[in-house]
Amino acid sequence: MSLCGAMMKSSVEVNLLLLLVFTLCVKAMRYSPPEKPVLTRCRSPEKETFTCWWEPGSDGGLPTTYALFYRKENSETVYECPDYHTAGENSCFFNKNDTSIWVNYNITVVATNALGSTFSDPVDIDVVYIVKPNHPEKVTVTVMEDKGWPFLRVSWEPPHQADTRSGWITLIYELRVKLEGENEWEMHLAGQQKMFNIFSLRSGGTYLVQVRCKPDHGFWSEWSTTSYIKVPDYFHREKPMWVLITCFCAFIFLILTWLLHMNSQSLKHCILPPVPGPKIKGFDKQLLKNGKCDEIFSALVVPSFPPTAPPNCEDLLVEYLEVYVPEEQELIMEESKDLNDLCLKSGGCTSDNDSGRGSCDSHTLLMDKFREAKEKRKPREQGSGQAGTESQGNQRDWEEEGSSCAHEDMVSPSISSGRVKTWPCVFSPLPQYSSGRLEHKGSLERAKQHCHSDTLFPLGSTSSSLDQQGQHTKETLRPSNWEFGLSNKQPHLLHPHTRPQRQLQAHSDVNISSIGHKRELRGLHSPAPESTEYVEVQRVNEENMVLLQPVDSERGHMEDCSQVPLGEDYSRVNGVDRDNRLLLQREVTQGDRCFCGDRDMNGERTENCYSLSTATMTQKPRVCIHTAMPVQDNMVLGVTGYVDTSTASTLPSY
Amino acid sequence: MEHRKMNGGKVFISVLCVAAVCSAVPVSDLLDRASQRSDTLHALSTLLTHELDSHFPPLGRVIMPRPSMCHTSSLQTPNDKEQALQVSESDLLSLARSLLQAWIDPLTVLSNSANNLPHPAQNSISNKIQELQEHSKSLGDGLDILSGKMGAAAQGISFLPYRGGNDIGHDKISKLTNFHFLLSCFRRDSHKIDSFLKVLRCRAAKMC
Repeated sequence: MSLCGAMMKSSVEVNLLLLLVFTLCVKAMRYSPPEKPVLTRCRSPEKETFTCWWEPGSDGGLPTTYALFYRKENSETVYECPDYHTAGENSCFFNKNDTSIWVNYNITVVATNALGSTFSDPVDIDVVYIVKPNHPEKVTVTVMEDKGWPFLRVSWEPPHQADTRSGWITLIYELRVKLEGENEWEMHLAGQQKMFNIFSLRSGGTYLVQVRCKPDHGFWSEWSTTSYIKVPDYFHREKPMWVLITCFCAFIFLILTWLLHMNSQSLKHCILPPVPGPKIKGFDKQLLKNGKCDEIFSALVVPSFPPTAPPNCEDLLVEYLEVYVPEEQELIMEESKDLNDLCLKSGGCTSDNDSGRGSCDSHTLLMDKFREAKEKRKPREQGSGQAGTESQGNQRDWEEEGSSCAHEDMVSPSISSGRVKTWPCVFSPLPQYSSGRLEHKGSLERAKQHCHSDTLFPLGSTSSSLDQQGQHTKETLRPSNWEFGLSNKQPHLLHPHTRPQRQLQAHSDVNISSIGHKRELRGLHSPAPESTEYVEVQRVNEENMVLLQPVDSERGHMEDCSQVPLGEDYSRVNGVDRDNRLLLQREVTQGDRCFCGDRDMNGERTENCYSLSTATMTQKPRVCIHTAMPVQDNMVLGVTGYVDTSTASTLPSY
Repeated sequence: MEHRKMNGGKVFISVLCVAAVCSAVPVSDLLDRASQRSDTLHALSTLLTHELDSHFPPLGRVIMPRPSMCHTSSLQTPNDKEQALQVSESDLLSLARSLLQAWIDPLTVLSNSANNLPHPAQNSISNKIQELQEHSKSLGDGLDILSGKMGAAAQGISFLPYRGGNDIGHDKISKLTNFHFLLSCFRRDSHKIDSFLKVLRCRAAKMC
């Protein structure tokens, strides 16, 4: 018996020893119970079933089994997972029968291996809080057109498990679009609708579309599979618009260019104002560029100014006769009102007393001279009044004779068109100066016009043609003559009752001094000799005043010549005797008058005509010209018997 | 923000009243509006729960009372979809109204407790509790109008008294624990209400 006891003791020891050895062996091979598994997630796709997944830990080197146990909140019964395989590995699928909502599940996973089991941490879930549906299905993308512009229409279906028709689960959708090759998605929230339109597509581009959904209180689903769609090219439809726009812009551009071209000059003037050039008469830029000073300055020399000829005494004299007309003998013709107005208005004419131009500026000159005449002739008023009266009477007689219409014309140059030829018109400055004045309607202008027609010198040509010294002399005299004439006239004009005879007197005065010049000048110029003023010296009164009568009977053969009855109305001054008496000539013919100017004037005695003593001239009193010019001994008669005032150095000058 | 919610709730109620009086608004539209309101209610409660859990000490979870101890657990509600779809509309509406009615008092308790809640996000929680109250009130009024339209059966409400008292705890942990528990119960019940109303909505529209 002791042997059996000894043997039992030894077997127990052997078992213990073996166990010890085994344990040591096991430990030497690092086997361990499984690690604690972890429940990663539980999801319900439609709020009817759910699935839980766990993450197993280390198995400890031994085969490990996992079991999921769950317990509902109202009972203590522990259930094991009904389905480990449907949802894959390490998962537990709860089907509809096992799923209760609004019930807390306490789920635990147990890992078991040979060495032991390990429980995971329990997880409490409520199915309604873990809803994550599947992605939408049957996503279709089509290209549709809206008035020629394409757009994408995306439509889909909810996941088939989700029961949205009964309202058990409410899904909202979201889609995203992007062009192929881009990185950024364009998100669009579609709400509960199952269709969506995408506009503003790029022509010819390929788009990627994805859709996902989410329950009202759950998680977003995964994105659906990508749908590719290619947008057709529709840029060709945009082309006509661009073509139209381009054409329109080109058209506008052409119009602007044309306008710019049309207004290029004005624009040029506006932007780049031209440099004002020199406006010196006779200034030649080309000469200046050539650099020859002599030529330049010689070109600047105007024949008339500055005077390069040795001045004559007579040249320096401002020769004009002051005619004083007593007020009671003045009468104004209505037609001469124009002249008055003209003269009155011409106060703005600019002329200085030294320039020859002023002489032709009859307006201002008349004004100025009138004023001077008024001032200076006042004391002589009485004296000249008698003369004026005499001349007045003479004039009356003369008028009664019914002499020349020219007389009347002389009276009122504004009336007749052709009678004003008695105006001294041969002054070179006159055409230039008065050309601008031809526009005036005054009788004075008309007078000038007629004068121009009658003058020997065509308009504007006098200054250039008269380069010689001789002519220059005459030219200088002309202004004086003109002044003379005009100054005489002015009083007539300003006095409302200037009688026509006064004007005649003025004309005759002028003629006395200028006829000779005219004759010479006529010879110098080719144009048809026009008639010039003729005066007929009536008589010389006691105060050494020459009473002249205008002669206008010679106009007959001129176009402008008035129909003046020929006769003995006019006479010419033949000479002046020692007694300060004018020797006059009586005119016989008319026709010769116009062409009588071919002879030199200076110092020649005319061959024609008549000589009358001054005393005989009383029979035809005409216009009395109260001149301040005393009859001097050295007065030289011109060709036709007119006093050549150029040689009369003793002529008074103002 | 509470005023806006209150005003929104008042507007909703007024519209519902007008609709009820005028009988111009169809039931489907009323249900649609009611489901929207309940959706907002549940979303708020979910936010509140998350905010509370973010700073909740994990220790307290162990001693968490079971959700079956919610005071509304006695109300029999469907547990799955088949059961829910078999419930009549009036019953569904009655259930919803009962649940909503049961939470008027507890929400007041929660609101009072939120003022003194030892929680870092106490202010936000307190504001959200007040919003919950407003939405709950407006939804209840709307459901009352709806029930009047849906028949006499919908008028019945199960009385679910809250017996938790005004005090949710003395110490910090118990306060937080009880607060969390109540809030979880409300979250579930608000989800039930939302689900029921949405089922009703689809049934009324007949084209969900």
